[in-house]
Amino acid sequence: MDSVNPLQNILLYVDGSESSVLATRMAITMAKAYGSKLRAVYVVNENLLNELLKAKIFVKVEKMDYERDIEDDGKRYLDYVKKLAEGKGVQLETILLKGVVYEEVLREAEEYGADLVIQGELGEVQSLKDSFYEEGEQILRKVSCPVMVVRGEEKIENIFEAL
Amino acid sequence: MKLTDYIKIECIKTDLIAEDKEEVIEELVEMLSESMTCCGADVIYQAVMERENEGSTGLEKGIAIPHAKCDEVDRLRIVIGISREGINFDSLDGKPAYIFFLMIAPSSEAGPHVQAIARIVKMIGIEGFRENLIKAGNAEKVLEIIENIENGG
Repeated sequence: MDSVNPLQNILLYVDGSESSVLATRMAITMAKAYGSKLRAVYVVNENLLNELLKAKIFVKVEKMDYERDIEDDGKRYLDYVKKLAEGKGVQLETILLKGVVYEEVLREAEEYGADLVIQGELGEVQSLKDSFYEEGEQILRKVSCPVMVVRGEEKIENIFEAL
Repeated sequence: MKLTDYIKIECIKTDLIAEDKEEVIEELVEMLSESMTCCGADVIYQAVMERENEGSTGLEKGIAIPHAKCDEVDRLRIVIGISREGINFDSLDGKPAYIFFLMIAPSSEAGPHVQAIARIVKMIGIEGFRENLIKAGNAEKVLEIIENIENGG
């Protein structure tokens, strides 16, 4: 029987946090080990910005300004993870999207044909209601392929350094 | 992200003496500038007031979140002030503001800045949060209240 690569496409969700860096290192390690294609996605949380505008915490011009800044942040971050992958001889595609974060990640996972979604540690959730606002939690619950939530800094750092 | 990663104990004041909007921003900014060396109070004050002139950041139920971008600041900074008397802040509901979360961040920290604002808005909705802050009495207690919420307590 021919062996089939179980992880042809890995989708990495990054949000600029420290735990995203750890997830990136794990994703690069796995892509290299399995010979997988790797794509990183960053989503500008347009939904949150619109909520803050609606609540009159932001004025319109300010919301647009923050959106632009976050988009720039996202581009910088994606460049960073791409370089991190290239440094280990792994090709990594990047994509920057805007919208409701978990919805965009779910759509991207579908379109990419992801065999695995990798993301950083989930944020603290104080109540079930809060979990609806926690993007990582939503991805974990709703994506239709396996999801890996990465933790264990020391172990991952060691594996990555040895790669 | 956790708010408490960005709040220093010396940046919390539970007995503001200011009596109007300009004074309270000045008092909060003064407290912030004393806790850092990267940027002077006048630059931050100007940035916050420019934002206030676009529209008040006074919300409902006694809360105000004055904020601004300022590239002279090294990272996101948060200051908390509480007024026992309440201060007219041109709030949405026309009522005085008692609790102030002043935030300032460079453009490169727009993401954490927006997330911090969203977290505060979420906390405001927690039953008893505002009342507990108002009667906290000291900075340590204020920090403890926020920490407890962030740790799921």
